[in-house]
Amino acid sequence: MNAITRTLKAFTLYEFVQAHALTLKYFFKPKKTINYPYEKNPISPRFRGEHALRRYPNGEERCIACKLCEAVCPAQAITIEAEPRDDGSRRTTRYDIDMTKCIYCGFCQEACPVDAVVEGPNFEYATETREELIYDKYKLLENGDKWERAIAANLEADAPYR
Amino acid sequence: MTSQIEYLPILLFLGVALGISVLFVFLPMGVSRLTGTHNPTVDKLTEYECGFPAFEDSRSQFDVRFYLVAILFIIFDLEAAFLFPWAVSLEQIGWAGWLTMMVFLFELIIGFAYAWKVGALEWE
Amino acid sequence: MTEFFQSLGMSYEWAWFVATLAGILLIALPVMLAVAYIIYFDRKVIAAISLRRGPNVVGPFGLLQSFADGLKVFLQETIIPSGANKGLFLLAPIITFTVALLAWAVIPFGAEAVLANINVGLLYVLAISSLGVYGVVIAGWASNSKYPFFSAMRAAAQMISYEVSIGFVLVCVVIYAGTFNLNGIIEAQRGHGFGFVNAYGFNLLLFPMWVVFFISSLAETARAPFDLTEAESELVAGYQTEYSSMSFALFWLGEYANILLMCALNAILFWGGWLPPFEWEPLYMVPGIIWLFLKMFLTFFLFSWIWATVPRYRYDQLMRLGWKIFLPLSLLFVVMVSGWIMYTRVGL
Repeated sequence: MNAITRTLKAFTLYEFVQAHALTLKYFFKPKKTINYPYEKNPISPRFRGEHALRRYPNGEERCIACKLCEAVCPAQAITIEAEPRDDGSRRTTRYDIDMTKCIYCGFCQEACPVDAVVEGPNFEYATETREELIYDKYKLLENGDKWERAIAANLEADAPYR
Repeated sequence: MTSQIEYLPILLFLGVALGISVLFVFLPMGVSRLTGTHNPTVDKLTEYECGFPAFEDSRSQFDVRFYLVAILFIIFDLEAAFLFPWAVSLEQIGWAGWLTMMVFLFELIIGFAYAWKVGALEWE
Repeated sequence: MTEFFQSLGMSYEWAWFVATLAGILLIALPVMLAVAYIIYFDRKVIAAISLRRGPNVVGPFGLLQSFADGLKVFLQETIIPSGANKGLFLLAPIITFTVALLAWAVIPFGAEAVLANINVGLLYVLAISSLGVYGVVIAGWASNSKYPFFSAMRAAAQMISYEVSIGFVLVCVVIYAGTFNLNGIIEAQRGHGFGFVNAYGFNLLLFPMWVVFFISSLAETARAPFDLTEAESELVAGYQTEYSSMSFALFWLGEYANILLMCALNAILFWGGWLPPFEWEPLYMVPGIIWLFLKMFLTFFLFSWIWATVPRYRYDQLMRLGWKIFLPLSLLFVVMVSGWIMYTRVGL
């Protein structure tokens, strides 16, 4: 009897048809994804996206060239060169992040004693060439200027948990 | 009554379709040379092998069962080819014609059953 | 159309030539356009079933996605691997695409709207679609790379295995219709079911054959669940692995043109082609070509639906289904159908 029902099921494509009824039901269900470029998901304040170098409100760059980020970076994506500036303060002359090496672990922003290097909320920075993904100090500071409000808000939102 | 003239459009179609395909293959080669995307390098031109150089010739031995399938295909496709003219004229040839074909089919089924039994259709 | 060009003052031969050429372009260009849109439709259906949205950026609702892809591919570099046989390597996509277009020459879009109304139309389609395997095998061989080679072996064995059962299914249809002419087969379906249903599909003897034909056409066009030729988890991209630029796109175009052709054949052989589904006067107000497109569209929806539902077959399962189930089943039906026809039309 069991064999007969099994053969009957096989030849009437019973399970096959059943599976298709199920997927047809799914066909009409509301979609789980969002209409991405026009709609975006909220992201956590801790989101680790594109890097930025921040400035103090008076326009002075925060980075003091302590090289802790360079030391902690597990992918060795950060390169820093530094020398004293004319006014005697210690500043970087070169601050490069190779975004193709970066693994977005966030250690650099954890290591930073002055909250200078941060990973901002931006994740849409695809480029056409690899060269464009090797960020220099100018590009990073520009990012900081562009995303400062969002970054500051995120840091503030996350502060109670640190 | 259709004559050979009915096949002339097909020949023309062959010409047009070939033209379109050849254009599609060779035009982008020209365009990429003009736009500068044509930039072959040694690594780019090696065959794909999951990131390492290929060990051996890719045209290696293959399973004999592919060959067996081809032989079986010839037998059964020929059989189908015999069936086609029989199928269109079935009503004219009567029961004698039908019975003849049934005998023919029966012989082939014996062959098929033999092939099945000796395991020519097995792929484990 | 010949009369129209004759009225422009051309001689009969020239008018015929121009009219035929116009007819060819009227088939080839819409087929390519239709291919662009069924690729889009395919992606949308599969996305919807997996609760995604599918292409949505290029144009309204992503309608121009296929054209964006086409343009991208067109501007890319054509890479010919240094180990490949150059001539054959470039010939393979040409064969695939030419053959995929060529079969459309005999497909009737209406009682008169057929480019070449040859009396062995069905045989022609069968012959031309068998040629498609050459493109795949040559591509696999000429690439001189492992994955395309394995894929070509599989594709060849798979396509010929299912062609056998397709052949027998066609014999069943031909026995019923008594002709190879595709228009004749459509006409034979007029009022076939209970005197008013214009389809062979509802015939109890032919419905199982439609199922066999439909599943075999999935296998013939290497669609999921039979897409072992380009099983990406084992064979990278199958025989297309080494291809790039437009030669790669030609395989896609050819593959989808073949799928459309199979949809058209399903509609023509089993569901009445350009005839409306029922013998009812108001239904004839709708042009026949719309009915044909509607039936093709529904068949294609089935193709997409199945892709989104069923996991890929193993190769031994594929071969078992083709040789041990479909072949005996379709042979049995050839015997049954011919016996039934003899009994009803000739009598004892």
